[in-house]
Amino acid sequence: MRMADLKVLSEQTAIAGIGLSRFGKFPGVSSMGFALEASKRAIEDAGITRDSIDGVLVLMSPLMGEQHGWASRVAAYLGVTPSFCSTMDMGGATPIGMIQTAAMLIHAGMCTTVLCTFGCQNSPKGVFPMLFGSEFAIPYGDIGAITFMAHVGRRQMHELGVTSEQYGAIAVAFRAHAAKNPDAQKREPITLEDHQRSPVIADPLRRLDCCLITDGGGACIVTSAERARDLRQPLVLVSGFGQMHSAEIIRPWDNGRGGGAEAAEAAYKMAGVGPKDIQVVQLYDGFTPLVMHELVAYGFCKAGEAGSFVADGNLLCEGALPANTAGGLLSEGHLSGFGHVAEAVRQIRGTSYCQVPGAEISMVTGYGGAPHEAPPTVAYTVAILRCG
Amino acid sequence: MFQLDKPMPGINEDSAPYWEGTRQGELRAQCCSDCGHLRFPPAIVCPKCLSENTTWRRLSGRGTVYSFIIVHRPQHPAFLDDVPYNVAIIELEEGLRMHTNIVDCSDEDLRIGMPVEAVFEKINDEVTLPKFRHAR
Repeated sequence: MRMADLKVLSEQTAIAGIGLSRFGKFPGVSSMGFALEASKRAIEDAGITRDSIDGVLVLMSPLMGEQHGWASRVAAYLGVTPSFCSTMDMGGATPIGMIQTAAMLIHAGMCTTVLCTFGCQNSPKGVFPMLFGSEFAIPYGDIGAITFMAHVGRRQMHELGVTSEQYGAIAVAFRAHAAKNPDAQKREPITLEDHQRSPVIADPLRRLDCCLITDGGGACIVTSAERARDLRQPLVLVSGFGQMHSAEIIRPWDNGRGGGAEAAEAAYKMAGVGPKDIQVVQLYDGFTPLVMHELVAYGFCKAGEAGSFVADGNLLCEGALPANTAGGLLSEGHLSGFGHVAEAVRQIRGTSYCQVPGAEISMVTGYGGAPHEAPPTVAYTVAILRCG
Repeated sequence: MFQLDKPMPGINEDSAPYWEGTRQGELRAQCCSDCGHLRFPPAIVCPKCLSENTTWRRLSGRGTVYSFIIVHRPQHPAFLDDVPYNVAIIELEEGLRMHTNIVDCSDEDLRIGMPVEAVFEKINDEVTLPKFRHAR
């Protein structure tokens, strides 16, 4: 992959506001409702006027079917008349992709202040879509992200010697963080025994290896570093970012580090830091094997050491690499990565419920795409935030 | 009792020769007529050279288990009666990988690297699904 030198974009923009809607089980609220609620909170958090927003990016869940002009409609409901508006979909990789896009729009002079938002209502519709590319997997009962990640887990166990208990250590650590987060969907602490007793969903994955299902939304406001300096919140600079798109995650170890490595390399290069400089990270944790994968792909540990790295407690708030300090998708709730962005910002502001003392460099990752395809196509995104 | 049908592949212009092959008891894959690249799943262009010139090649139907999982909580209600059931990814001799179920093998006996061969399960007049069994 060709990597552009993006230093020119480093620390030119900032995340000035964050907002999460109510989230959990809220069957009566629409996807639009969640997006509007989260957006309003982000606008208030940033202390900006609605009229200063001139760019709107919206993540649209594929659950919603065909919804033309979704981003424009979110803008319209907010009373915003943007000069640039786009609906984006890379699944859980989208929020960081939006922050990248916002940084480019601002750098190009097309926008000054960009709202990035999302809302999702998971109402079961009973109609199962035969998605493009799924016909060589679904007839065998291999359906969606869970079975896909179960295969990734099986290969990790085979190639790296990772155990189910080591996956459990990830779930236990993130739940311990969620226990301190009053907004988290799951707050009751769990033990390794709880993990091992939780029902098998798709062997080798147990229920506690899988993310939650969440109705809710999230948003953030991206503006120029210069403008952000004059706003209400402490300056949180967008220091580096990167993307990588892979159609072959089930061969993640071919290059020794795996799919997504280039996304982190681009972000590190742009921010002028390396994995050892990251003080706190929000890893996209749809399933525990994905966390294991990211630890290796993003350079936090060697392939053969990932299992013992997590089992030794390194992901805990007081560990060597505090991770998912709000609880992540596994315990806080699934906001397609907006919860991760919000927590990465809170760590720099010093306002996390699980604050890493003196955190000045905070990383956040995203991941998503089309796991139903065989082979699946997935996107990895990485952003590095820095205290201004 | 109400019975929900399992989702079946939608056969299109790209994949029709593949499903015609399975009906005749053979596995086929597209081979690029220009660069020789073998590809699966079917597509209108070669991902290596973007050529649209394609021939279909018969595959050996032999391979090894690359990955397997045992589904206990299926994501589609039509599979509820089958649990627990396996889904495997096979690495074919020709290097391609494909999803399948391993038949005539208990879940406890499944192993990565296990040699397997294709068998063909007729679902209806249109669809025959290739499945795999332990090659002894």
